[in-house]
Amino acid sequence: MGDGPTIDEVRERAQKSLAALRGMCSDDELSEARALVEKLRNQRDYELMGKLAEAVSRRDPKDAKNRRLYAQYLIDTGKATAAIDLLQPLARRLPKDDPEFAEATGLLGRAHKQIFFDAGDKGSSGAREALKKAIEAYRGPYERDPRSTWHGVNLVALLSRARALGMRVAPDLDPQAIAAQVVATLKAMPAEKRDEWFLPTLAEASLGLRDWAVIDENIRQYVAASDAKAFQIGSTLRQFTEVWDLENRDERGRALVDMLRARLLRLQGGELRLAPEDLQRVREQPAPPEGRLEAILGTYGAQTYQWWKTGIERAASVAAIRQKMGNRMGTGFLLRAGDLGREPAGELLVLTNFHVVNEQGTNQALRPADAEVVFEAADPGKPYGVAEIVWTSPVDRHDASLLRLETPVTGIAPLPLAAALPVIDDTARVYIIGHPGGRDLSFSFQDNELLDHEGAPAGNPQIPGVCRLHYRAPTEGGSSGSPVFNSRLWQVIGLHHMGGKIGVRRLNGKEGSYGANEGIAMQSIIAAMRA
Amino acid sequence: MAHVTFIHGIANKPPAPDLLRIWREALANSGDPLPLGDLGVTSSLVYWADLFYEKPDEDISAHEGVLENTAEAVDGGGGAEMPTPRTAEEAVFIDALRKQMTEMSDAQIAANPPAVPVNPQGALERVPLPWFLKKAIMSTFLRDVHHYLFDVEYAPPARPPVRIQQTIRRRFVEALAAPGITGPHVVVSHSMGTVIAYDCLKRVADCGGVDGLITLGSPLGVDEVQDKLQPEWKRDDGFPHERVAAGWVNVFDRLDPVCGFDPQFANDYCKAGAAAVEDIAVQNEGAWRHSATKYLRQPAVCQTLRRMLGL
Repeated sequence: MGDGPTIDEVRERAQKSLAALRGMCSDDELSEARALVEKLRNQRDYELMGKLAEAVSRRDPKDAKNRRLYAQYLIDTGKATAAIDLLQPLARRLPKDDPEFAEATGLLGRAHKQIFFDAGDKGSSGAREALKKAIEAYRGPYERDPRSTWHGVNLVALLSRARALGMRVAPDLDPQAIAAQVVATLKAMPAEKRDEWFLPTLAEASLGLRDWAVIDENIRQYVAASDAKAFQIGSTLRQFTEVWDLENRDERGRALVDMLRARLLRLQGGELRLAPEDLQRVREQPAPPEGRLEAILGTYGAQTYQWWKTGIERAASVAAIRQKMGNRMGTGFLLRAGDLGREPAGELLVLTNFHVVNEQGTNQALRPADAEVVFEAADPGKPYGVAEIVWTSPVDRHDASLLRLETPVTGIAPLPLAAALPVIDDTARVYIIGHPGGRDLSFSFQDNELLDHEGAPAGNPQIPGVCRLHYRAPTEGGSSGSPVFNSRLWQVIGLHHMGGKIGVRRLNGKEGSYGANEGIAMQSIIAAMRA
Repeated sequence: MAHVTFIHGIANKPPAPDLLRIWREALANSGDPLPLGDLGVTSSLVYWADLFYEKPDEDISAHEGVLENTAEAVDGGGGAEMPTPRTAEEAVFIDALRKQMTEMSDAQIAANPPAVPVNPQGALERVPLPWFLKKAIMSTFLRDVHHYLFDVEYAPPARPPVRIQQTIRRRFVEALAAPGITGPHVVVSHSMGTVIAYDCLKRVADCGGVDGLITLGSPLGVDEVQDKLQPEWKRDDGFPHERVAAGWVNVFDRLDPVCGFDPQFANDYCKAGAAAVEDIAVQNEGAWRHSATKYLRQPAVCQTLRRMLGL
């Protein structure tokens, strides 16, 4: 745990800053607000970051750094074209030797790159145009200053992708030569000037050299490090999949991407989104050789990869709860009736939230007759109807509905249940697998810090018979009805029922509130079923 | 609630919370993973390196059982000097224990001998590490064992000296009596920590009981150590049945020099004349076989601990 302010402290200070900026704020208060915009960015609290950046812009519209951070907020919240509209005039008015000029033009490149990322068909004219503009945006600053490795490495990646797509853009540039130049610049950099992006940039630039021994070695240097950061590996992974398209290139590329995913998810704050077809592919393909796992992921490489594969297997038992022929409404997961103390013991049932499916459709839930269950990672083409709700508990208690399906589920394993809740300490984590927000066709694997629970040994449940868990991820919540897993064994410890709320009252009679996700302990659900 | 009390061995260590985390991680990263926290098992660590060293070792990665290139990574960190005997009995003890480790004189060691001699005589001579590391290991081992068993008054610079054995015994007894521990309760000890755990569980009247004891890389098989545990220790009644309700499992690597030439000791710690300790041989990887994390990553250790905890 770092010594800096906590997420809650930064949020509280940001709210105070917003209030101050609405009145007669002092210079000191304005400076504090500027600093907080960056802190919120680092904590990926984009919603509040955007509000504060807007408020600072109203006070000081010429603050180039704040405008640039505002543009970053826009990109990271899916508003890349608005970011371009903001960045273009900013880049025009800044002197070319101003450090913010290079930052702004680089971010302009990132905005175009994001449009390319988001395009479903990378060969479409819109995607190709975005790729071309991104190359132009990174090329200028790199040619003005070849020591600018951030621009250089992006140029290598985008040019390589453009070549792979058969595009004739910047034909005078050779990505392999630029990659060699970027690697040479980085290696010549004195140790004291190397920042946290040094190793990730070196690793990515190595891809352009097309020498796997060098690539593996440079990737290992920061991926296997004990202080590796989730946001950096997440950024590398995004580049490797979306720009370099490594998954579709060859076996080694696919294996590298999977290893990075395994490592990312193991790190504090790690989050992954995978399409059902990606999950199926990972389930089916063999693990990379143990030697390569250790070469890239370090001593525990094989264990990390095995852990990740187990998580992927668990995802096959997680289902989307959909309105018949309609949208996703939540998540559910497959359990064995015997594990819940029910007969027939071998029957497979689906657990979800009461507020996702209940008899009366209260709390905007689906009625059983209107719901269907689809195991998208295992059998995406087979919806199961809901025959009946065999047990239910309302929102203010366990928020749970246990569903019997119209046809028996075959070929999908029920999830294992944990016998105990994890011990609370500063290393305790839990994982959620679900479909956050129900909006996109992806599975989300999310690492959460386990904040507290009402179980043994120190728990003091406030609702009789209900044992709650609080946990928190740095990103959004969601995923109603998802299983909450313990961190190493992928055993279910809880049913997720409330996500991403701020002002949640602390558990066990402790004073105050915080931002937290909430789940209900499986063992208390089982005890209620048996009562 | 099930609980594991760990106790560490010779040499300087990282700060207690880091060492406890490293050890728990090692169990969780085993070939047969045992993540104590996920399983609802609480854990604590009896820490005593601070009695010998001015400050904890900040190079935490050296203690993760991967590298073998520094004294810290091979249980020789902290710059311990060879102990100075105060009596003839202590001189005999140190000399005998030293002979377990090596047959070479200080002068021969200083003459830069090969890492592994053609005909190795002492336990340490079988270890393929350079002699500057082996010398650090030997000094640390002899100093720590001697100071504990002879209850030497000692302190690192700028601190008042304390009686080593009395102070560590008190910490161990208090750790076992910590509130909230119900059971099963298992002690997992390593290296010199196995001597401390045995000494307390067999010989300290106000020490609480536990359900199980696991010793890893233990020198308890060495005659000179056993002699210092008398009169409570007897070959035919050495098992600490007074305070160990269920089993004692001893895990060793035949090339672990700290175990000396007596890594198995079921016959040395009998219960009413019958063997009661379960000796398990494992093979740790690399040149340095004594590493605590290498032992903790052994599936046999995880399986034993799981069984003792009733998981």
